[in-house]
Amino acid sequence: MNDAQSNGKPLLEVADVVKRFGGIRAVNGATMNIGGGRITALIGPNGAGKTTLFNVLTGFYKGDRGSVRLRGEEILGDPPYEIARKGMVRTFQITKALAAMPVIDNMMLAAPDQPGERLRNIAFRPGAVKARETEVRKQATELLGLFNLTDLADAYAGTLSGGQRKLLELARALMADPKLLMLDEPMAGINPTLGRRLLDHMQNLRRELGVTILFIEHDMEVVMNHSDRVVVMAEGRVIAEGEPHEVRKDKRVIDAYLGEVAVDTAAGESSVE
Amino acid sequence: MTLDPGTLVPLAVTLQALTDPDFWVSVGVLAGIYAIVALGLQLNTGFTGIVNFGMAAFMAIGAYAMAILVLKAGFSFWLALPCAVLVSMLFGVLVGLPSLRLRADYFAIATIAMAEVVRLFAQNARGLTGGNLGLFCDLNDPSNCYPNTWNDISESINNFISNFWSDPPTLLPLLIVIWVTVGLATLVLLRLQRMPWSRVLRAIREDEDAAKALGKNTLAFKLQSLAIAAVLGSIAGFFLALDLRTVHPLDFEPLVTFFAFSVLILGGLGSYRGVAVGAVLFWFVLEGTRFIDLPDPPFTETRIAAVRLALTGLLLIGLMAFRPQGLFGKREEMVIGE
Repeated sequence: MNDAQSNGKPLLEVADVVKRFGGIRAVNGATMNIGGGRITALIGPNGAGKTTLFNVLTGFYKGDRGSVRLRGEEILGDPPYEIARKGMVRTFQITKALAAMPVIDNMMLAAPDQPGERLRNIAFRPGAVKARETEVRKQATELLGLFNLTDLADAYAGTLSGGQRKLLELARALMADPKLLMLDEPMAGINPTLGRRLLDHMQNLRRELGVTILFIEHDMEVVMNHSDRVVVMAEGRVIAEGEPHEVRKDKRVIDAYLGEVAVDTAAGESSVE
Repeated sequence: MTLDPGTLVPLAVTLQALTDPDFWVSVGVLAGIYAIVALGLQLNTGFTGIVNFGMAAFMAIGAYAMAILVLKAGFSFWLALPCAVLVSMLFGVLVGLPSLRLRADYFAIATIAMAEVVRLFAQNARGLTGGNLGLFCDLNDPSNCYPNTWNDISESINNFISNFWSDPPTLLPLLIVIWVTVGLATLVLLRLQRMPWSRVLRAIREDEDAAKALGKNTLAFKLQSLAIAAVLGSIAGFFLALDLRTVHPLDFEPLVTFFAFSVLILGGLGSYRGVAVGAVLFWFVLEGTRFIDLPDPPFTETRIAAVRLALTGLLLIGLMAFRPQGLFGKREEMVIGE
């Protein structure tokens, strides 16, 4: 599957990460390991620090303490663009489709190693620029096909529906050649049909490309049925980790997160939010 | 804001000037200079989303560096040009390094402050810049003036032109060189626009965090965008110095940048082609309205100058009401941005 997994080390090792805002410790010593080739759900009540942790891991916030290792390499404190280049690519809770750019440009933007992003190459290596551009366009077109967005390739991203934007953001993140995809509430605000398609895509990515996925989600049905592993956060800490059925029975999890809701309801139809 | 009508076009204007080619050539020169400035603004504001209110500073630094290098350091005119471009570019990077980390609106404020600092420095560093006397010739050697080299070239161009057109306007060679520059700069920018480099700039304009999350070092791209605007600004500064035949602090007031923004908005955000058209339209309206014949009194010369600015303002407001994307901008991109 994944080279990081084959040598026995987790893809992502998070140890004792702290993020303070003034007197508030939004993330207060979070520790977890994310294995390669798995889909891991990150759950927890509102204010548990999930998105803050995401922002620290991806470099958008500077962590105050702790260690984040991606494939064994320390990345805490690196700027976001370097972390993305090292293979940890994120999406946002509120989609960031580049509205006044065509869908195809959204896709092509994300490709790594583009000589045409350097003025020097544009002036002196126009051949290399053109060759890579053709390659990138081909890959972008293929991925759009996979996500049923081909017909929208030339539309402005701003004209897409909320769900289509989520799909575009996922497809675009894939263009960046991720080892670890970080999805912040990928299912939020989209209709169930598109949501199902998004979940199918996540499963296919893991199965066929060996992409590791960490996603924040509130819908317990999605979490229980579509993740291999669940990490539970509360009050800035990781309070439990394990397979979905284990976590569901964990006393601490029920206290902190599921609260009064009966265990079997959480496993079943209803969503907690 | 007080505007001496004489500062807009350095020519004595009478009603006969309406048909005077000299007058329209000088208007064309100004339009060309502002087209170059607005091309830089287009790259920054239209395509990178950084609101640069400091173009006047890049023009000033280009013009002053060129004049100082020629007059005080003994550089040849041809060596002074690239050196002055380099100085302006470095200044752009130096200013950009801290200020481009700011949010877009704060960056705008920082740039206008930067431009005023440069202008006030020029006004007060008398030993270097001549202060309010401006820079023209070496005081110890009045035959050594910065436009000497250009004057020779200009004369030989006009000698050639006089084979076809007897007594061509004095500024015609400058007009030609400026508009060739506008054409070349537009072509280069249009070519860049189709490159992945520009795709990253547009992504930054749309959402900088998204670009970062996709592995783009957005600060480096914004710095490059600002540096190229500084290059264009300094080139416009050279031309202004050759046109006005002096380098003076008052020619680099914030108003210069705002006029260039008017040009940009007329032409349309997000279109390099619109810039030249916007520049011509803006200056022909602003200068053409000199010939509106209003009775004096009550319309004294100063009042007419104000009326002319008001008319130009009305044109801009009308355009915003009926065609917010400008002449060449894309309406879809405007609407989607909301």
